[in-house]
Amino acid sequence: MLPNTSSDTIRHFISTLIRHPAFLGVIIGILAAFTQALLISAGGPEAYGVCIACHVRDLVNGMTNIIADTSLALAPISKNAILPVMGVVGIMAGAFISAKVHREHKIKEAGNREYLFYFVGGLAVLFLTMIFGGCPYRAALRTGYGDLTALLFIIMMALGVVAGTLYMLRKAEKEES
Amino acid sequence: MATGILSKEAAIYAVPLVTLLIGLLVGYLGQRSGFCSIGAFRDYFLFRHTRLLSGYVALIVASFAGYLFFWFLTPEAMEHFFWALTSNPLTPVPGAPAGLVPAAYLIFAAIPGFLVGFICVLLGGCPFRQAVMASEGSYRGAFFVIGMCVGSILFGAFVSGWIVVLMRAFGFGA
Repeated sequence: MLPNTSSDTIRHFISTLIRHPAFLGVIIGILAAFTQALLISAGGPEAYGVCIACHVRDLVNGMTNIIADTSLALAPISKNAILPVMGVVGIMAGAFISAKVHREHKIKEAGNREYLFYFVGGLAVLFLTMIFGGCPYRAALRTGYGDLTALLFIIMMALGVVAGTLYMLRKAEKEES
Repeated sequence: MATGILSKEAAIYAVPLVTLLIGLLVGYLGQRSGFCSIGAFRDYFLFRHTRLLSGYVALIVASFAGYLFFWFLTPEAMEHFFWALTSNPLTPVPGAPAGLVPAAYLIFAAIPGFLVGFICVLLGGCPFRQAVMASEGSYRGAFFVIGMCVGSILFGAFVSGWIVVLMRAFGFGA
């Protein structure tokens, strides 16, 4: 009986661990540093290991450059490599596999107006993150790398979240009354 | 020019593969944990829940620890580590579009930061969370990702140039 319970405890511990955001935070931080140590010879920028907006930009613009022979801007690391960074492909495939394995994959539809809202939101978020030069994840990596402008970005993002939450609360109150 | 563990000839082949494998692991764990940087601040502000916030704080701390570790191991790969201590602390690490005064980069951090927080909390998640939700079958998340893809072409072709022109017009040109 005893080995069985201890292996159950270990299994429980592991399943709790992989479902905890702090574990993923540690994984992303260390892997981003590892990526840079491994691949920086291919080109900059630094603190670029995991980023959603930048990697989408590199993937789309890099593939467009290859297919349509254009010269859209992208990071040197993707320009020099044979193919652009594939971080987002991996993230979406990994999340899809996980959702399928755990039977959490479920088609959720919404109205056309919401699709337009999300499309414009994606457009706006990409413009804004590219102006800064990174999504919230790269901001965290850059803060770890010693970049104070990224810390300013995170502080302002927290203020923006507070403002957005208050706006949503007020809107919900108005709809109730 | 910074050099990493792999030589340049090997690294250009390794870039897509390594980022793909890391992405698979991060995406898998992201789907399990619901990791979200916007949700971190939202949950803390609304409910004082620290679960997601612990993830984001862990990311900042672990990235510092990771960069420190690999800085000891391969110092030439971490050319600008401790950026704020070794140069003008109010400029970003190299890689941002050049040709503007340092104050422009503070504006580039402050205003987009606020707006990204505001927009993303209305949409219910940061870009990473939207990509994961799209993979879980949410059409909203899929449209967000499509918007980012279209936006990246528009940004590369037009918007980045307009912003530099705009900033120069306001007197931020270097």
